[in-house]
Amino acid sequence: MSDKKKANHAKDTTNRNIAIGMVIFVVLVGVLFSVLSNKTNSKVSIPASVSATDGYGIVFNKDAKVKVDIWEDFQCPHCKEFESVSGDYINGLIRDGKIRAVFHPMTFIGPESVLAAAAAACTADSGKFLNMHAALYNNQSATENSGTWTNTTLKLLAITAGDSSKATASCIDSGKYTNWTQNVEADAAKKNVNSTPTMFINGAKLNQAHYLDLAGLKADFAAAGVK
Amino acid sequence: MTFSKVQPWITLAGRILLGVVLLLAGYLKAKSPAEAQMAVRAYEVLPVSIANFFGLALPWFEMGAGLLLIIGLAVRYSALFGGALMLLFVVAISQAWARGLTIDCGCFGGGGQVAAGHTKYLQEILRDLGLTLTGVFLYRFPKGKFGIDKFESTSELGDNSER
Repeated sequence: MSDKKKANHAKDTTNRNIAIGMVIFVVLVGVLFSVLSNKTNSKVSIPASVSATDGYGIVFNKDAKVKVDIWEDFQCPHCKEFESVSGDYINGLIRDGKIRAVFHPMTFIGPESVLAAAAAACTADSGKFLNMHAALYNNQSATENSGTWTNTTLKLLAITAGDSSKATASCIDSGKYTNWTQNVEADAAKKNVNSTPTMFINGAKLNQAHYLDLAGLKADFAAAGVK
Repeated sequence: MTFSKVQPWITLAGRILLGVVLLLAGYLKAKSPAEAQMAVRAYEVLPVSIANFFGLALPWFEMGAGLLLIIGLAVRYSALFGGALMLLFVVAISQAWARGLTIDCGCFGGGGQVAAGHTKYLQEILRDLGLTLTGVFLYRFPKGKFGIDKFESTSELGDNSER
């Protein structure tokens, strides 16, 4: 090689190394961004009934002995089936104060899950969460993120669920609890929740076959001490 | 036509195949990080906290390697990374199958547990094996058409930038 060729060669190598370095840099920045944006943020607004120690879930009957945790995504079809099989029974137990229920609305299915979970949290503040919970499943679209749920349609849904308060409407409009959904998701990741619906009774995962088997579910609750 | 004439074109095709797959897979996972984390946890191999980190970090590394392969830069290292990753997926999916887990591989977003009878383990394993072989070919013959890497004419596979 002549000297000139050698010099060009060295320059090319340097340029290539710079380009490789840039790609590696972007990758590391991306990883850092993902890690930071998926962490729990203790500064976000949370509904009054949410407990950080319960994984940022929405809590009912905080003094009842039998503890039930439900992880769900309002856009998940199996959650809708679970709701249609056992929703009335579980809501009855909550109304009778027999279980300490913690709802964890997850949002991994996408943007409309975030909107729905945030809107449901708004109705929790006016005591209408269980109604909104049922209304969301009744109104679930067959296709995910298809434009069914927007803040406008969710406000109407809240009204049909019996929550026509101005506070709820402005809470939905302002996306007050949007960032709270990230905390719920981060906690579900820590607790190894890999599918929805997932129910824990006193910290133990429900038998997979009992999600769509009301008699089996009732037996599990009885075994846990629900009379 | 001799192999030495065709090989640079095969290398180009392999780079684009593996590169586009990695770029797409990474992008779809980076877009829904919670689901990507769930997909890794569902393999039940790594401790939960490590699985969660893996689910967040992996998509970016996939996109980086995919980009390098497409533009033809550091082809040997990117191919080694991509091929090793595909082999890792083959092992991970196989163990899930063998243990009777019912999960989606989560390779292109999605993932987590699925109903029994909705698994696609064989297709997923064959696809990833094919991509592993693509990576092996690129590692052996990194010199292809339209790449940024430079190779000495005396070497049939060396990559100057990597010596």
